[in-house]
Amino acid sequence: MTKTDSRTVGRSDRARRRAYLLAGLVLAFQSVSPTARLSAQLSPRDSALHALNRLAYGPRPGEVDRVAAAGVMQWIDRQLSPDKIDDAALAERERQFTILEYDADELASMYVEAQREQREQKRQQGEAPGDRDSVGGQHAAPLPQRMDPPQERGRRLAGELQELALVRATLSERQLYEVMVDFWINHFNVFLAKGADRFLTPSYIEATIRPHALGRFADLLVATAQSPAMLFYLDNWESVAPGSTPPQAMRLRARPLFGRAPSFGRPPLFDPARDPMRADSQRQRAVERMPKGINENYARELLELHTLGVDGGYTQQDVINVARIFTGWSIRRPQQGGDFEFHDWAHDYGEKVVMGVTFPAGHGRDEGVRLLKLLANHPATMHHVSRQLCQRFVNDDPPDGCVDDAVAAWKRTEGDIREVLRAVFTAPDFWAAPNFRAKIKTPLEFVVSAARALGADPDTTPRLAQVVARLGEPLYLHVAPDGYPERDAAWVNSGALLDRMNAAVALAAGRLPGVVVSIDSIVPASADPAQLIAAVNAQILGGTMSENTKAVIRRQISDSDPLQARALAIGLAIGGPEFQRQ
Amino acid sequence: MSISRRVFVKSGGLALFSFGLDPLFLARAAFASYRPLPPVTARCRPVLVCLFQRGAVDGLNMIVPHGDPLYYRERPRIAVPERDVVDLDGHFGLHPRLAALQPLWHNKSLAAIPAIGSPDSTRSHFDAQDYMESGTPGAKATPDGWLNRYCQHDREHQNTPFRAVAFGPQLPRILAGSAPSLAIDDLQAFGLRAPQPAARDRLTRAFEALYAGSATGLLSTSSQEAFQAVQMLQQVNPGQYQPANGADYPRGRFGKAMLQIAQLIKADVGLQLAFADVTGWDTHVNQGSSEGQLAARLAEFGQALAAFAQDLGEKLRDVVVLTMSEFGRTVRENGNSGTDHGHATAMLVLGGPVNGGKVLGKWPGLDPANRFEGRDVAVTTDFRDLFTEILARHLGATDLAAIFPGFTPDQARFPGAIRA
Repeated sequence: MTKTDSRTVGRSDRARRRAYLLAGLVLAFQSVSPTARLSAQLSPRDSALHALNRLAYGPRPGEVDRVAAAGVMQWIDRQLSPDKIDDAALAERERQFTILEYDADELASMYVEAQREQREQKRQQGEAPGDRDSVGGQHAAPLPQRMDPPQERGRRLAGELQELALVRATLSERQLYEVMVDFWINHFNVFLAKGADRFLTPSYIEATIRPHALGRFADLLVATAQSPAMLFYLDNWESVAPGSTPPQAMRLRARPLFGRAPSFGRPPLFDPARDPMRADSQRQRAVERMPKGINENYARELLELHTLGVDGGYTQQDVINVARIFTGWSIRRPQQGGDFEFHDWAHDYGEKVVMGVTFPAGHGRDEGVRLLKLLANHPATMHHVSRQLCQRFVNDDPPDGCVDDAVAAWKRTEGDIREVLRAVFTAPDFWAAPNFRAKIKTPLEFVVSAARALGADPDTTPRLAQVVARLGEPLYLHVAPDGYPERDAAWVNSGALLDRMNAAVALAAGRLPGVVVSIDSIVPASADPAQLIAAVNAQILGGTMSENTKAVIRRQISDSDPLQARALAIGLAIGGPEFQRQ
Repeated sequence: MSISRRVFVKSGGLALFSFGLDPLFLARAAFASYRPLPPVTARCRPVLVCLFQRGAVDGLNMIVPHGDPLYYRERPRIAVPERDVVDLDGHFGLHPRLAALQPLWHNKSLAAIPAIGSPDSTRSHFDAQDYMESGTPGAKATPDGWLNRYCQHDREHQNTPFRAVAFGPQLPRILAGSAPSLAIDDLQAFGLRAPQPAARDRLTRAFEALYAGSATGLLSTSSQEAFQAVQMLQQVNPGQYQPANGADYPRGRFGKAMLQIAQLIKADVGLQLAFADVTGWDTHVNQGSSEGQLAARLAEFGQALAAFAQDLGEKLRDVVVLTMSEFGRTVRENGNSGTDHGHATAMLVLGGPVNGGKVLGKWPGLDPANRFEGRDVAVTTDFRDLFTEILARHLGATDLAAIFPGFTPDQARFPGAIRA
């Protein structure tokens, strides 16, 4: 684990790149656009558009010109210090989201209540536990005939949680920060519809991911490892040393009323008030179900996805030993708030060896933290995460040079995410002409960039989030631990494109209830087709509209009245090929 | 490496749509040796339906080796009790919640292959799925999927946009590549929406012109495929579909996908390859035995397959359904009455052409000495042996080595899933 990784050592023209980097930093403090010097191909306007497409969810009306005029490096520098950016308008908006008013304890007790109602309902209907408990978006199950208030509230809050992400992405001035929150949400994926994660996910977003999104990777990693949402999602909360026995008090109430794996609302496990006979057999079942050994799920994904990467050099024995190190990392019952809790009794105190590093016998929770810190700055981790960042910000097939720059910054700063990002944004690769508009927007990026282009102001109803879900990316509902994919091939296909066209037409026509668009101030209705097309090109496509697109739109609007023509032109522009790129 | 795709143009020629160096383009030189299928007479329009159980299904609780005492010894809390197993051949049996498939076993249109999987040892879901879909275990750089490569090398059915269809919001890796394929999440909603048909048609034409002239790369090919399909679907008019023979599909995404596959097969639009995902198999905790978590997933799975077979009726004669999953799970239950990532799993083959009523392949047993790395069910059938058999004997593929590069197809290793 102490070996250096040869892949991460820069191989070529470091000096040149360092010179570029210096140039970038120097120019960051000048108000003129530096990008003409960084890359001969991109104009100041294109540079601003590029930065707004990658570090932000696309430009709002007029923003390309503003950023170009003020200097793109200065804008990037500001985005890297979100604390210094005033975001009062968003804060005002966030106050309308009731989900932010509840703390973890309150959400936990609501969950317990909803579960009780659901069980009661099932008992009345004599229904077997089934695949009915997904939330929101395309996973939404048909509503039961009668929805009890606690469940209904659960659904509403889940919808709010999804929509809150859309509102923040659309309205926040701290755009890079919101982009990074989305990046980490996918890197450290959890699944909102899995049992207790229904109530654990809000605090996962607010207290685990958001505070560390531009902080130090090691801190973020430790925070996720200790987060109840992750401990539940990847099953570590009940991974115990073989032969360990919970305290007597635990034994009787052993199986907390957590839900189970994705989409299986289990029957009540233990409810002594109901029926003594039944309670007895349930107690027995509860004892049978008590954890009896380790669970490898978290350990494997920690190494494969969160840190080293699948080719990071670990073995099956390493996975087992990592799982042993994390035995006892658990959570309180939801009735007690569901916080992180280290169970001394469940921990394996034996010696472990992970990738050649010995963890001596006799250590408890501290050895898990030690392991996480080792993993956080392991060369394979630096390379794996840097590569993903370059994939997100530069190209689906990230150039080596950019990854090398990010790794160098990681080494220099011990994983200060802000500095790693700064290295990416000052890398020549980031500004190279072939990477301009080289990426395809994900559904989230497509919907938010369309909303921003139209100056949309979404309310707290989950309308925009539902559009994102229909396009294939229901937020917090990616079931597998790898998060939503970043590559274009995952998102571009026949059905998805038709769906994007439909969404674009609906948005442009103002047919999405709950989303107020201010088209009048962006593209005034005009009887002159040339004027209309020029406005749509400038305001919505950032000047990238092709001659063919202009010709097609002109043909389409020739016999429409000005209002219809405008809606059609905007719908075609947003649903068309140029707008899918960023 | 970027995945480049290109549609074979309608005329049957090759579209020269490549960006930079396109390895697939080079592969096209091999088309010279292409031999067409014999005329489809005896068996018209064979269809292959591939179903991916993502998350690694526990093969041992799906096709239960109830004749093996070690199975019960290793799984005290999650083994399916012998009395509940739906026996198949005295040694293996179906999980009780797959009982809906029993009639298909009896009429010899269902076969099971336990101990099948990848020669690669990875226990990563994502790598293992990738290998099973690219068809090249251990090689990550393969740009396309094996179903797509089949389409590239066998161009008999290229003149319909519905030749290869994935039912879901994403086009899976298995269909990625230069040959056209569709992703359809909802057949009813596939196309542009507008209040009146005239407005809809106009909008469709506008977007079609927009993409035809301004799109590049994936955006270009995918949109072209989409508009061809939309046009054809209008002629078919999917309308209100009623499953035949009282077939009752389970609610949920998977049942809907199976219903839509049946619908397209019956619509006679030239569907040859269909694909759908079914998720929820990663049972690390409390997977249950006869009842419980896995049982609920299997129930939905089995009911959807049974409904599909019933709905197709006579047409099942030309259809093979192949189920796959990236790997199996540990023989021994873990500390949470669940199972962790293992090696070999079980697959099912179902349909008219299937050599059914049989458990195929060699069973290595559960003796620790015969296990993979001392813990998991060993792979005795390389998944490519089964896949190549189905391609060759069901679809009539001739160039198997090109579809599975780095692999030497061998009839002698075919598990015997398709009737000769």
